[in-house]
Parts: sequence; C-alpha cells; structure tokens
Amino acid sequence: MVQTLKQYPDESINVNAGPIRSFGESYQQMVEDLIDTMKAHTLDALSAIQIGYPYQLMVIRENSTYIAYANPRIITQSDAFDSIERSHYFHNQPITVKRYKTLSLVYENKKGEMKTKIIDNKEEAALFQRKLDYLFNTTLIDRLLPQQREQAVKALAGKGHMPDISDAFCPPESKKVYFVSVADKLLFFMFLSLFLPLFPLSKETLSGWYTYDKFAFPAILFLMMGFFFYAQHEAKKYKQCSSCQIGNNIGVMVKRSVAALAFAIGAYFLVNPY
Amino acid sequence: MARLVVMGGGVSGHTAATFAKDWLGDEHEVVVVTPNSQWNWIPSNIWVGVGQMTKEEVVFPLAPVYEKAGIDYRQAKAVSIHPEGKDDSDTPYITIEYTGAGKEGQTEEITYDYLINATGPKLNFGATPGLDEGHTVSVCTADHAVHANLELKKIFEKAKTEKQKILVGTGHGMCTCQGAAFEYIFNIEHEANKAGVRDNLEIKWISNESFLGDFGMGGLHMKVGGYVVSSKLFAESLFAERNVPWIIGAHVNKVEEGKAHYELLDGTTGEEAFDFAMLIPPFAGVGFKAYDKAGEDITSKIFAPNGFMKVDADYSGKPYEEWKASDWPRTYQNPDYKNMFACGIAFAPPHLISKPMSSPNGTPINPTPPRTGMPAGIIGKAVAHSVCDMIKEGENAHLHEASMAEMGAACVASAGKGAFDGTAAAMTVYPVVPDFEKYPGTGRDTDYTFGEIGLAGHWIKHILHHMFIYKAKLKPGWTLIPE
Repeated sequence: MVQTLKQYPDESINVNAGPIRSFGESYQQMVEDLIDTMKAHTLDALSAIQIGYPYQLMVIRENSTYIAYANPRIITQSDAFDSIERSHYFHNQPITVKRYKTLSLVYENKKGEMKTKIIDNKEEAALFQRKLDYLFNTTLIDRLLPQQREQAVKALAGKGHMPDISDAFCPPESKKVYFVSVADKLLFFMFLSLFLPLFPLSKETLSGWYTYDKFAFPAILFLMMGFFFYAQHEAKKYKQCSSCQIGNNIGVMVKRSVAALAFAIGAYFLVNPY
Repeated sequence: MARLVVMGGGVSGHTAATFAKDWLGDEHEVVVVTPNSQWNWIPSNIWVGVGQMTKEEVVFPLAPVYEKAGIDYRQAKAVSIHPEGKDDSDTPYITIEYTGAGKEGQTEEITYDYLINATGPKLNFGATPGLDEGHTVSVCTADHAVHANLELKKIFEKAKTEKQKILVGTGHGMCTCQGAAFEYIFNIEHEANKAGVRDNLEIKWISNESFLGDFGMGGLHMKVGGYVVSSKLFAESLFAERNVPWIIGAHVNKVEEGKAHYELLDGTTGEEAFDFAMLIPPFAGVGFKAYDKAGEDITSKIFAPNGFMKVDADYSGKPYEEWKASDWPRTYQNPDYKNMFACGIAFAPPHLISKPMSSPNGTPINPTPPRTGMPAGIIGKAVAHSVCDMIKEGENAHLHEASMAEMGAACVASAGKGAFDGTAAAMTVYPVVPDFEKYPGTGRDTDYTFGEIGLAGHWIKHILHHMFIYKAKLKPGWTLIPE
C-alpha cells in the first residue's frame, strides 16, 4: 500500500530505527509498502522511517529490481568526495555533503540471511549512505557544519540559499579571539585601578598602578590593531563567516579602544599621584 | 546467627556486602572473600593509563573499611562451591585459597547460609592468541593502567623525533566495555596534544561494534551544540574532528609483536601495525567448580558454558526474533539452590543485547551485554536486600527485583581530562536491555536514551569519582548516595 512520505519539517523522522528481528509477514508487508510508495513517487530508494516505520530497512531500485536491505551496516569506506544530493524529505532542495565512493557493507536479505556487498560507484554509494543515514536518525542537513546547517534551515524556510560545502566557513575557534581576550584582561585591571584612590594606599603603590595604566592603554590599542588586521586576513580566507564581517571587527576594535581611552583619562585624573 | 558469604569485592560485591552488614547488624555474619587487598574505582583507570591520576587515587585498602563495618574479610580466591555440603554435613560451603595477609596458598572451607557470587569477570586475554603475551596493554585494573601509562610515556618520548602508531579498542569479536576503550583513545589524543606530539602520532580505533557509536547498546541520541543527533553521527564526527580513523565490525584474532590481525564482519581480513596498543580482552567467568554432596561435578548445572552463574533468566537459547525483555533475570537467584545469588558481571546473561552478527565465515562479531557500573551496583543492592529479608523473615520472603530490562543506567565517558579543557559524554539509557514489546522499533524509551558531550560531563565524571570512592569507604552518609 502506498504510504505518506514524510517531508521537512516533520520531525517524526528523527528516531534511531530499531533492528529488524523477524522476516515474517509484517516484514514482507513493510517491504511491499516501501516498494509501492517508491513506484507511486518514482523514487530510486526509500528508508522505512521515511514512511513512518522505525525499522532498519531500506529498499533500493537496481534497474527494474527492488532490493531490500535489512539491518545494513557500512563496514569500510574510502575515497571521500563532495556529493550534491536531493531528498524528497527536503523537498528536493540540493544539499552538498561529504560521501565515500567505495563501500563494503553487510545486510540481511529478505530471508534474514547475512549478505555482503561492495559498492564502487559514486552515485550508488551516495544513495546508500543517504538512506542508511535515515536509519540512524541522520538527515542530509545533519551532515553539515553548524554554520552550514543554520544556513540550510533558513534556506528551507525560503530565506536565502543552500550552503555550498566547498565554501570555507568561520573556524570554530578563531585565533583572533586571543587578541580580544588579552585586551579584555588588561581593560579589567585598568577599570579596577580607578577605585584605588578610595583606599588608603601609599603614593608608591598608586604610582605603580598608574605605570600599569600607562602601559596597558597603548598595549590595548596595539592589540586591537592586531585584531583588526588578523580578522581581515580571516575574512578573506573564509567566504561564509558572519563574525568576520568588517562591521563586526570594527565594532569590537572601537568598543575596546574607547573603553581604554576612557579608563586612561580616568587614571590620569584619579590614579595619578603626581 | 546466619552467615552470608560474598565472593568478590568489586562494585557489585562491595555494595552487596556493605548494605547487607548495615541491614543485618551484629546479629548475623557477613564474610567477604576477594583475592584483592584493594578496592578499585575502575572507571577512573583510564586516567591512570594516561598519567592524569595515580594508582593511589583510584584504589584504597579494603581491610580497614571492612574492619570498621564489622565484615569478616578474607583476602583469598574462591575455588569451588559445594551447595549441598559433604558426606558428613548438609551445610553448604565454599573452598578458598588465600592470596595475602601472610596466608598465601593456604586453603580453607567456609560454610554459608547464603552465598552471593559477585566475582566479576576473568579477563580472558587467552581468547585471542598473543593478547596475553605482553604485546599490548590494558586499563582493566589499576596495575594494568599504571603499566599502560609507562608504555604510553615511552611512545610519547619517541614521538618527539619519529612517527608512532597507536591502536586502541577491543581485542576480540565478543568484547564488552567499548566505553573504556573509547575513553582511553580520546584521553591519549588529548594528552598527546598537550605534550605537543600529536602530529607524530597515528592514532587508530578498532572495535567489534557494527557501527561507530553503538557503545554495546545499539546506539542512542546525543545532544551536540544544541542539535540532537544519533550517536553514530556524533561518534563519526568526533573521530573525524580528532583525526582518529576507525576499523569497525572487527574481530581481532591474533596479536603479534607490533601487529594485530583481524577479521571484519564482511569476511575480509587485515592486519594493523602498532607501536603501542591497548586492546580490551573479552570477559569470562572466573572458572569455579561446583560439586554436589557426593563430590560429583555439577559445574554445568550451576554455571553457563561461559563460566557465569545461572540465575532466574531464560537460558533456552531461543532465536533472536523471540528474545524478550522478560528473558532477563529479576531476582538473580539460582534456580536450583535458592540460597545462592549472583550479581554484577558474575550472572549469566540469557543472550546478547546488541543484534547478533557474524561474518560470512561464521565468526560471531558483536558486543556482549554490559553489566558493569550502575547496573552492577543496583543489582548488588537488590540481591543484598533479598538475602537480608530471607534471613529475617524466612526463605519464603519476597525477593527484591532489579531487571536490566526495567532499569535505566547512566554512563559518563571521558574524552579528555582537564578542569577547563576536559570533555566527556554523559549518557543515559532506558531500559538497559531493549524491550521491543513496550517500545516497538528501538526497544528503548527515546526520551531517556540520550547523551550530551561537553565540559560539564567531565566535571560530572570527576565528581562521581570522588563520590563513589567516598561511598565505598563507608564515610558518613554513604547509604544515601545512590548506586
């Protein structure tokens, strides 16, 4: 019987499918439903979870034959490549993910017998991996990096375009944050120094802190310059990087530079013992 | 006065003995027979194995703790069980052979009214040729972990000038405890980065799981960076991020100096060279013998072929499609001798938890059921409760139940130690044994079968380390700390 195909954003597809335990009548019926649904929608492959059966079963059409793969596993994989794929679940939107061309897999046939198979064809291998992903609670966009995934979700909502996997995204841990981190620590102690006159400290102590302020102020300005130039370097390196935009970088730099200037003026009038 | 003898002083045996003594008081006697002089918090051994903890931080001497509790402690290994007594006495007894306290090698008979078998496993290095010949290391005991760390440090030293290969995983197709190996490989990777030698290390994973992230439990959901993903995708991403390639569905069938041979689920074979390897051995029963009153060997009546004790489980050997949650034991009472129980790893599971798989050559390759950690403690306590009730109310007292098919379990797997840069995956599974009738499809309640990775997980693991050692030392309030 033709079953309803699940489509994004239906999240009921997000379950770990359970193993096929018996190959009796209900199993055969499930296979028939998959095949009927594939024929009705002209699909090359379908995972059971795509029509709501939470079992580790997929059917792939090979020429005019429909082959059922129960409890499939990829044992070895090699030759990675970028695969542009479309899935009915994602309304046939093209999404680029990393796949492997050569697979060695095991599965059980319709009699429950363990079988092995080698796939050494990009198209066939990508199709198998995509259907297997569904059985392990993984859809196409789950294979994307976090920033790419966010962009894909927006694109599926009709806001923007799908990400290209070849685009270099912001690094998760940019080295430019080190500049900001050191500057923030220097600023923190400059800020604290403004309260020192409230305490009965000696002239020498205040003098020492004022010396700190005099060094910290230019150091922060240099750090912010270093931050800006390094951030610009990263912005050229990574095409898709919202935090690399020049406006953001100027904002970070100006905010800290102004704070440093304010603290330096405050220190001149409040901390300066001379 | 009744006498309860507990064989084994690990997580399950120690829990059973200490709770039983607490509940029974001085009216009855509790005897613990264990060959070890020290208690070991095994989950932290992986940190000893990378030099982030000392052996002294994960062990403590048992004698003073048992003396304080009023438990009769015998540092000895149990050799045989005689549940019907002998010619001139109907009182059941066990024979033991001392391993310490100046009585090494001496044997003795200890009679009992009730017996709890909590011996834990025999680390069956012999199941894989070469695994017991010193070519590899393990982190299964604190001493093993100390040795592993010494060998690892030599590799780190060599890696300052030349490339080195590290192989970590399971040393047989029927291993359990993938989690310990998972923790160890990522702690090695973490330490290698800190030591500045990561670039010269090729670190590889080898496992009997049929997919990464199976963890011997058939997988679960993980929460990573705000998104819910399968443990398969999580594990694949983690291995890829840390640049750790993997071999899965593998039965290591032979180990030589610097080389491991394996067969894969697809029937192919291969070999992997290494300079350092930590391969977990499979578990087996400790190899007791059992005799009836006439001295006839009844080992096969009491123990399953793998050496673990039979309890109230369904051992009929039915096919996979007929496995049920109700096959799993509830009371852990031996069906033939009602005054004998087994808990922790010592009881014989009725069958696997993961789907049974074998290569085209017929070699079984799948994780065996985990019974360590939280389930071991819960079962030990339930068994102690049953025995105490039988002692106080008579042998028909209601037995306490702790079926793994109705029990949840939590596990925290470290992926690197550090107060601010540590990470660990905290996971919960409910129930431990899938119940396909109650939860069609996955066999588990997906709301409670979940995991999350992060720094908080590391802190939880560290807190658990101190909390469970505190509890095992019977410090004030120990009974309030859950298993």
